[in-house]
Amino acid sequence: MGQAKSQFSEDELQDYQDLTYFTKKEVLYAHNKFKALAPEKVGHNKNAKLPMAKILQYPELSVNPFGERICEVFSSSHDGDCTFEDFLDMMSVLSEAAPKSVKAEHAFRIFDYDGDDMLGVSDLKKVITKLTGDHKLSETEINMLIENVLEEADMDDDGSLSFAEFEHITDRSSDFLCAFRIRL
Amino acid sequence: MSGGANRKKTTRSQGWEEAGSEFYQESYPGDSEIEVLQRDPKHLHTLLPSKQTRGGATIRIKTNDYRTNNRTIRRYTATRSRRESTVHRRTSLAGEVQVSMLPDLSEMSSNEQTAWEEIMQIKSMPISMAEKKEMKAKILNEPNLRLQGFEQFKWKRRKMLDHFRSRLQEHLQNLELWKNSMRSIEGNYGVGIVAYFLFVKWLFILNVLLFVLIFLFIILPTVLLDMKKDTYCPNATINTCCAHIYFNESTSNNNVLLDLIQGTGILERTLLFYGFYSNNVLEYLVGGIKMYYNMPVAYFFVILSCFVLSVFTSLNAAAKGFKEHLIEGEGQFYHYCNMIFGGWDFCIRNEKAAKIKHKLIYNELKAGVETQRLDEEILSRTVQEKYKIYFCRVIVNTVVLAILSGCGCVIYLVFTLANKQLKVTTDKYADLFYEFLPSFTIVGLNMVIPHLFSFLITFEKYKPQTVLKFSLIRIVFLRLSALIVLYASLWSKVSNERSDTSSCTVYNTVPVCWESYVGQQIYKLLLTDFAIQIIMIFIVNSVRALIARHVQNKCVKFFTEQYFDLSKHALDVVYTQTLIWFGIFYAPLISLMGALIFLIMFYIKKFACTVNCKPSPIVYRAARSNSMFMLVLLISFAFAAIPLGFSFSDLTPSKSCGPFRGRASVWELAVSLFLKTPDWVQSIIFFLGTAGFAVPCIIVLVLLVYYYTAVNLANRQLVGVLKNQLVLEGHDKQFLLDRLSLFIKQEQQKRLRSEQNRDNGDNRS
Repeated sequence: MGQAKSQFSEDELQDYQDLTYFTKKEVLYAHNKFKALAPEKVGHNKNAKLPMAKILQYPELSVNPFGERICEVFSSSHDGDCTFEDFLDMMSVLSEAAPKSVKAEHAFRIFDYDGDDMLGVSDLKKVITKLTGDHKLSETEINMLIENVLEEADMDDDGSLSFAEFEHITDRSSDFLCAFRIRL
Repeated sequence: MSGGANRKKTTRSQGWEEAGSEFYQESYPGDSEIEVLQRDPKHLHTLLPSKQTRGGATIRIKTNDYRTNNRTIRRYTATRSRRESTVHRRTSLAGEVQVSMLPDLSEMSSNEQTAWEEIMQIKSMPISMAEKKEMKAKILNEPNLRLQGFEQFKWKRRKMLDHFRSRLQEHLQNLELWKNSMRSIEGNYGVGIVAYFLFVKWLFILNVLLFVLIFLFIILPTVLLDMKKDTYCPNATINTCCAHIYFNESTSNNNVLLDLIQGTGILERTLLFYGFYSNNVLEYLVGGIKMYYNMPVAYFFVILSCFVLSVFTSLNAAAKGFKEHLIEGEGQFYHYCNMIFGGWDFCIRNEKAAKIKHKLIYNELKAGVETQRLDEEILSRTVQEKYKIYFCRVIVNTVVLAILSGCGCVIYLVFTLANKQLKVTTDKYADLFYEFLPSFTIVGLNMVIPHLFSFLITFEKYKPQTVLKFSLIRIVFLRLSALIVLYASLWSKVSNERSDTSSCTVYNTVPVCWESYVGQQIYKLLLTDFAIQIIMIFIVNSVRALIARHVQNKCVKFFTEQYFDLSKHALDVVYTQTLIWFGIFYAPLISLMGALIFLIMFYIKKFACTVNCKPSPIVYRAARSNSMFMLVLLISFAFAAIPLGFSFSDLTPSKSCGPFRGRASVWELAVSLFLKTPDWVQSIIFFLGTAGFAVPCIIVLVLLVYYYTAVNLANRQLVGVLKNQLVLEGHDKQFLLDRLSLFIKQEQQKRLRSEQNRDNGDNRS
């Protein structure tokens, strides 16, 4: 076995290949990326838990307005700190190979800030403010947008989007699949 | 219990709620949930079955991805995954897992294959890796039945194939072209722009494929078997010796460089052009057996298959985009949702790009709010204003039409002028000038007129999206009108003045081998277009960009700042591809040239995008722009293929060169081939051409169309009805939930009161 592979056994790699949308090679590549975030820590323990701040140094996540939320969703301890396996999960879901429904499932969890399994007005408001970043939309404009979104997608008129409704949106939107993707 | 007083109160009005409570208690055996509810009745809706079917999402992919025919497996995995997701959910909800409600795993028997399929399905579940591993181990530890006999063989083969595929994928990933470039463009400019570069890559691969086809079946046989042109001519009757004359004619003693860019002189009688290829049946020996290779037939069918290949690949790509477009466009349902949920490009990984993206999204959202206002404004336009705008549009459209036809005239005039002058002048450089004048005129017009159009369109007051569409269509027609004029002038040159049958030239006004002449025109046009693009991007535009970066003056900035205009750049490559398609018959090696041009074009455009231009102020949607590219490509394919088809049937190939020399038309070859086929094939094909076949066929097709439109209408109606129903159900649910939570609240109060009563009673006693 080459030096590059030394941190993983063949079985572990097989496990990862079976349980993610990656090939073994990509798993190793992902691990290199993970290692680059904290070389000494990961060099020591290949599955080390890195604090959220470290994970957020990953370029795509650092500029992503939902970066913190993504870490929280994928973190197995639910506090944003990620082990390599969490990181691999994240990259697998965001990879090109992952099907739309898997992406939709996770996107829903990411957008669902308060964790009540519904995208309510407060969630939508948060998503919009995160999206526009430094540029602030006025309160009435945000409310108008939310009203429009709910009008479009809220089938049962309960003032929030359930997962089924959200999935319906993502099914209809080809942009979603293009956008919700990080190249490893 | 001293509930008597309470019961009195509730008997009449809330009797049904009491019954409801019994039902309620029955259907939810876990006390813990009720406790949660009683603490917070608002949480009721999270317990609804419709909120619990997230496992459904994972079930669906399973049945799509892995075509398992076995129903029980499907149900089994479905329950398993649902269990997992509900477990996940419940733990976060109530902290209780209801193991008793779950199906017993042991009653299902599984075999290797199903176990493996289940493992493959784990990856789509929204759980952490540790849990996934656990699940995998669990599945592996379950007693599995070994598959028997043929099943076993099939299973093994499938596993092998899968293994092989994943290995192949690994290797292919290394080979992927321009991966890093794509990544960096994506990181800096977003997926919309990458769609364009993917399109260029797609064209590059298409051209490589075309070249491979041509190389294998036309060029390789010619090189191996027919390089020596021994057009020996024993008796000097003119008609048979045309080829001899053509190939032994001394070439013009031009500068080699000039020959190279014009495709004349030494280049004319090479593999590059049609004229070089033989009309013979080539003979060769394989192990002592004589084999034949019919060059004209090969030439004809290879070019034909090139076109078939192109049209099928682009149709395929377009159809995919079109389907998505159709699904999306159905009533423009999710305009705002798309903006918000698909707004952020997760690929962006650059601070600056992220800032721009934030700004873009902000603008888009703001524009979204404003279009509402605009819509209202449009509705509130007075009749007078409306007429004014319509009047404006009509005028602008006529002006545009006038400009388009004017461009056509200019190109035609320049073309005829250049030809006239070419006959007169003897000066070498003047010659060159006139040679390239038409190409330069076309390219120049292509550069100037689009700006004029974009200026004109501001008067028409369309919505932003319509503006994009209209300007694109106009520019497409500009480009294609130039091509039409080119065809027309070539056509008029070729089809006029047919010379007498005794001379070698078929047409008086053109050189002996007119196909090669057409090939040269295309070759020149392609080269000029490419050269001008290089000059524009590397010299003119980069100087502009340099000035824009260092000068603060607003006026200067207006003229020097540039944005990556996707539609313009897309048209550039589509135009090149159209020329290649048209030229491929007259100059087969043009496919290689095309591949090279697209290879270099990728880098040129990348330079233009990353160095010269600022990120565009328009948000380009990847999916939408891709379908747009393909549509334009298909239109231009028609513009290349139709004239070529006409030339096949109507023009006489030259007598002195090319694989079709001596025939009345290219089409004649196909006819003669057809006549050689067995009788029954002929009769079938003749039957296909008769009215006896055509009329029933048309009737059946019309009926089919009618049927599908009817089905479509019915489905649409059904969608409407179901949607209405959904809304109503939603209202019902809302209503019932409200009543239920009200009831629970009352129940709580009741209990509280009764406890208070009891306490009071205790105290009293």
